[in-house]
Amino acid sequence: MSRPTTHLGDRLLLGVTVLVAALWIVPVLWVLAMSLKPNAVLQQSTWGLLPYPFTLENYRNLVTLSATPLWLFNSIVVALAMTAAVLAVSSLAGYAFARLRFPFRRTLFVLTLAGLMIPEQAVFIPLHTMFAAWGEHNTRWALVMPRVAVPIGVFLMYQFFRAVPRELEEAAELDHASRLMIFWRVMLPLSVPALTTLGLFTFIHAWNDYLWPLVSATRADMYTVTVGLASIQGNFAFSEGLGSVMASAVFASLPIVLLFLIFQRFIVAGVAMSAGK
Amino acid sequence: MRHSTTLGLTLAAALLGTASQAVEITLMRFFGDCQNEYGSVTDPAQANGECGIITALTNEFNATNTIGATVNTQTAEWGAYYDLLTATYQTGSIPDISVMHASILPNFTSRDLVIPLGDLFAEAGVDTADFVPTALENASADGEVYALPFDVHALLFHVNMGLMEQAGLVNEDGSPMLPSSPEEFIAMGKQFEEATGKNYIASESQAAEGMMVRLFQSLMWQQGVDVLSQDGQSVAMNGPEAVAAASFIKSIYDEGLADPGLDYSGAEQAFLNGEAGIILNGTWVVDSYSTQAESGAVALTDYRVADVPALFGTPAVWADSHMWVIPTDPSRTPEEEAAAVAFLKFLNDNSYQWSRTGHLSVRQSVIDSPEFQALPHRAEYAETAQIARAVPRTQNQRAVFNAMISDFNAMWLTGTEPQAALDAAQAGVERILRRNR
Repeated sequence: MSRPTTHLGDRLLLGVTVLVAALWIVPVLWVLAMSLKPNAVLQQSTWGLLPYPFTLENYRNLVTLSATPLWLFNSIVVALAMTAAVLAVSSLAGYAFARLRFPFRRTLFVLTLAGLMIPEQAVFIPLHTMFAAWGEHNTRWALVMPRVAVPIGVFLMYQFFRAVPRELEEAAELDHASRLMIFWRVMLPLSVPALTTLGLFTFIHAWNDYLWPLVSATRADMYTVTVGLASIQGNFAFSEGLGSVMASAVFASLPIVLLFLIFQRFIVAGVAMSAGK
Repeated sequence: MRHSTTLGLTLAAALLGTASQAVEITLMRFFGDCQNEYGSVTDPAQANGECGIITALTNEFNATNTIGATVNTQTAEWGAYYDLLTATYQTGSIPDISVMHASILPNFTSRDLVIPLGDLFAEAGVDTADFVPTALENASADGEVYALPFDVHALLFHVNMGLMEQAGLVNEDGSPMLPSSPEEFIAMGKQFEEATGKNYIASESQAAEGMMVRLFQSLMWQQGVDVLSQDGQSVAMNGPEAVAAASFIKSIYDEGLADPGLDYSGAEQAFLNGEAGIILNGTWVVDSYSTQAESGAVALTDYRVADVPALFGTPAVWADSHMWVIPTDPSRTPEEEAAAVAFLKFLNDNSYQWSRTGHLSVRQSVIDSPEFQALPHRAEYAETAQIARAVPRTQNQRAVFNAMISDFNAMWLTGTEPQAALDAAQAGVERILRRNR
């Protein structure tokens, strides 16, 4: 008796979801369309979701601009290095807090979590001064290091390791496996979903990062793709070079879109996981 | 032993030789990157627009200078430009030359972050006496010159004469008939809209560029009030004059004479497509609008420029200035400094090319030259140079501007009453000024 109603409810929900999704995609399509139109046409009108008159000029300019591949390379190096470092630090620290007994464990854990409450902006100037004192600005090292300590990453891994049944470790201990061996052979393989989620979010965050690279990498050859693409825009790029700006936006988000398409399953699972906790 | 000494001497000679011949310096600026269009252009006369002309000028200097200097350009986004420039003093990659607004200069001179240029200019043969007095004053602090003034840019009325004619708002001499009081402004606006069915005014009203804040400042000066005191210590933004100016601006929207939903490019589109009679924009677009109107590709065909009219008595209009400075850098070599000064002299010698954008020239000899006077539309806004009022050169000028923009926009975007918006802006700006030292 209740089935038809559920059915109707489902359909309504589906309809609303499709509508919202369509609305959500409109700006993206708009950006895409504008990136494929000549700047001169856009100065007169930005209307329309179809790229007509069509041109690849904006993309050609972007790619042929000598510095863009270098910026892309910088971004990839920085994002990959940061992801690897965050995964290593978070999983090791998370495991230690979850399973090892050592002095001041609770204090250290609370201190780590307290890091969650400190906004990035609050430590920005000391951080910048510190790297300046070391003479380390304008290096890829300076772009990666400040972002390696991620309390939320430690917390995520801590939660995950705590949920792993102790029996698994005990079984390994009976086989005389060392702590490191247990971590490496038992715990890490189990935590692949959590690591993938953390890794993806770190990568995306690193890729989109703007403020720190802007003030740390002040030489054009050290720019990441976000800072670099912003730097080539004119004063009033929003009127005279709208197509170029849109092409930059599409270009810079392409790797992230590809990443999402490949790892979609993990990202959705990751969001669900963090919501469920 | 002897062998290695010889080798060492040869190496040293080679190094010294290279050093005295080739010097690379860095130029940091906004105006965008247009390497694709102008990367190989070395004749500025072939370039258009701010980005094109400065790129071509740099290329020409690199190709023709005899001191072996190469200027490498580093561009930064306009909004983040000063943050990036400030950061270079910490990161150590300080540019040898950078562009700066006159209103921002005090932030740098008060902390000795740019070097004095008076003696260097005298040696290089840059005639500071040729600068119009206000430009020289803008480039100076405590009697010393710290910058090479490059232009004065001001707010203008850009007019679609075809629509004005339709509305019967044209003077006998062919110039647009513009209002001389707020009441007349509204009346003419209504007359225009009845006759044409289009908006009287198009203006960026959303964020970022603060076109209406620039108009507000102009209207305050027209009433003899400085929004910011010249010493930068106090702000007067919620008195009766401010209420009069702000109420008038709000009424432009309330009477339906302008669309509050337009951003910078939206306003420009409306104007070029013949959907508005007048656009409020700066000197930097004169060349662009003029070229487009002539091209026949847009609905706008009969384009004219006019000074911002005196609506509150004394003629006055908002203005700022682009200048070039040499940031302080203890590790800069004398050769690099000499190359930087040589480039500044080259820019000054080619000041005319820059004024082709529509900017007002800062060199009296350029202003008097026949080639400058022959540029299109210049006569139509000749008076702007006389009535231009520079925003006071105080610290944190950009922060003050941004604070005003958000409170002002609330008037037409959310219907905040002028007095309330002005009180909020006054408090916000006072907070910023308290940070000044």
